[in-house]
Amino acid sequence: MIRTARLPNRELIIVFVVTIAVFCWLSGSFRTTGNLENVLIGFSHTAILAVGQSLPLLLGGIDLSVGSIMALAGMAAFDAYIVLGLPGWIVLPGALVLATLAGAVNGVLIAKLKLQPFIATLATMAAYRGLTYAISGRQIWPEIATRPITDPLIVAFDDYVGHVPYAFFLLLIVFAVVQLLLGVTKFGRDLYTIGGNVEAARLCGINVDRAVIISYSISGLCAGFAALVLVSRMTTSTESLGIGIEMSAIAAAIIGGVSLQGGIGNVFGPVIGAFLLGVVLIGLNLVGIPTYAQPVLTGLILLGAVWYDRLLVQRRARAILAKQAANP
Amino acid sequence: MSKKIPAHEGTTGTRRQILGGFSLMALAAGAAATGAVGGVALTASSGPAMAAPSTKRRKMVFIQHQPHTVSTAWSEGLAEVFKVQGNIDYQLLDGQNKADVQISLMDTVINDKVAAIFLQPADSVALAPSVKKAARAGIPVITLNIDATAPHAAHIEMSHYLGAIEIAKAMGDKMGGQGKVVIINAPPGQTVRDARTNGFMEGLKRHHPGIKVIADQVADWDRKKAQDVFSTLLAANPDIGGVYGVNDSMALGAVDVAKTKGIIDKVVIFGNDGEKDALESIERGELAGTQFTDVFQQGRFAAAVATVLATGGVPATAFAEQGYLLMPYVIATKETVASIQPSQRW
Repeated sequence: MIRTARLPNRELIIVFVVTIAVFCWLSGSFRTTGNLENVLIGFSHTAILAVGQSLPLLLGGIDLSVGSIMALAGMAAFDAYIVLGLPGWIVLPGALVLATLAGAVNGVLIAKLKLQPFIATLATMAAYRGLTYAISGRQIWPEIATRPITDPLIVAFDDYVGHVPYAFFLLLIVFAVVQLLLGVTKFGRDLYTIGGNVEAARLCGINVDRAVIISYSISGLCAGFAALVLVSRMTTSTESLGIGIEMSAIAAAIIGGVSLQGGIGNVFGPVIGAFLLGVVLIGLNLVGIPTYAQPVLTGLILLGAVWYDRLLVQRRARAILAKQAANP
Repeated sequence: MSKKIPAHEGTTGTRRQILGGFSLMALAAGAAATGAVGGVALTASSGPAMAAPSTKRRKMVFIQHQPHTVSTAWSEGLAEVFKVQGNIDYQLLDGQNKADVQISLMDTVINDKVAAIFLQPADSVALAPSVKKAARAGIPVITLNIDATAPHAAHIEMSHYLGAIEIAKAMGDKMGGQGKVVIINAPPGQTVRDARTNGFMEGLKRHHPGIKVIADQVADWDRKKAQDVFSTLLAANPDIGGVYGVNDSMALGAVDVAKTKGIIDKVVIFGNDGEKDALESIERGELAGTQFTDVFQQGRFAAAVATVLATGGVPATAFAEQGYLLMPYVIATKETVASIQPSQRW
């Protein structure tokens, strides 16, 4: 019931549309198809990360390691292509498998070793980043660092169908699959139950550990997709790929109505949340707001979203109390 | 009158721009009233008349790698020149040390049809597709210090290779042509790293073949990271005689460590760039030397190139080849540092 009540993300869509309208009015360059392309290609990977991040959040957890998983998968792809000379059809699935495994390790640490998700993924965030440096062909042979990836399959995500980049279609597929998982499968229902009350879920016979491991694996896989989009755009990878991007992904998910307490949310909101952040950043640049003022505004949007989330929680609590008072 | 007065400064907010505009107006009015011809008043009152050939407003942006003394000084040099033109709106954008952020910014400003882009790429390869995209759109891209691997309008740099050769010579001279040296380096993937490292190695080979480079480690341009890197290197090799920090921040990180350990007199530490802190450290006798470039001037030169191209209607597609400009420099040591004027110090 609670879940369907939040599904339409009505208020978020209103804010999103109003924001776009305001920037269209303020900037001639904003209301162009070129800008639409830029928003779609520039923030599809953030949206994919936000979709992935929603699963740990729905469980009442968090995945801080997505940026480092991106770097790890990206560097593995770089090494596989530039150093080992492997073709794209091996490099792409290989990087995705690695990212999924990295996510699965997070899940195992949380489910089996009973670590707090924040601590577990904070640790792997550092570990995966360190591993990225360790395997970096760029560090071992700096002279190959300025060689670009030219495999047509690996760089394909930077291409467009009309005005729509392939990366956006990838996002649509990821979104559709995860939303279906959440909406119609037992796994999805289990996730909301666990997020609502993990002990109750366990008593109901739900395999909590399995759900946790799968969720973090999907988050890792999404980080892998995001890495491939960026590698495709950059024709290389860097050790610093994805630093700080977990914050954008978590912010997008929370703006999208996924509760930090777990159990509430969908993955449509996070997608809109990611593009809202993107539209704001691009819009601010186009209207000439100084660059250092921009993160402040992003922070304010996040604060607004969290405040609104609190408001809804309180309103729901009051409604339940009122109902109980009416039917004693 | 008031409309033509340039009131745009890249890094400042709208409110300060308006205030700046007012203060310039006040100065101009004051000059007109009293007939005084002071330096500032001259700029404000004669600038607009000089800019008469073109009243068309143009936008130019500088996408920096990350906040740093070098990029801040470039931006000041750029803004200084654009302010006089009166028809250029200049904006500084921050790449947050992330290639993907810079790529998104490039997309945004290309779509905004800016007249020129100044770029300090976070990675020479990663920004190449964006540079190509700008070239296709006819927008000249001028890279500063870090080149992109795709051809573009021009690259203006601190003569990395030549300077590093001279640094190797000066360092070797101070070390008596003997000993062990470590390099504290920039991250791979930036052309400046290769140019400075290769220049330094070439300089040692040419002038001081008796000196050995025993380690080459990355400290990401950062003073704090350089402290950690140098401490570790020193623990393993207590007899290090020389350090080449590929920028001043990293060299000063090594100075910090050497001072704490009381070996500042035994290690010859050289930086590169020539920022104010480094020059002061040289004057105190701590840092042995650096390659000094007037970075304000580098910004002004870049602005000059872009302004002439834009007002002359030269699109990026008109370039037969990428242009290059090497900045003049001074190898600043205790002996030469006094020749650097206060107005050149950044």
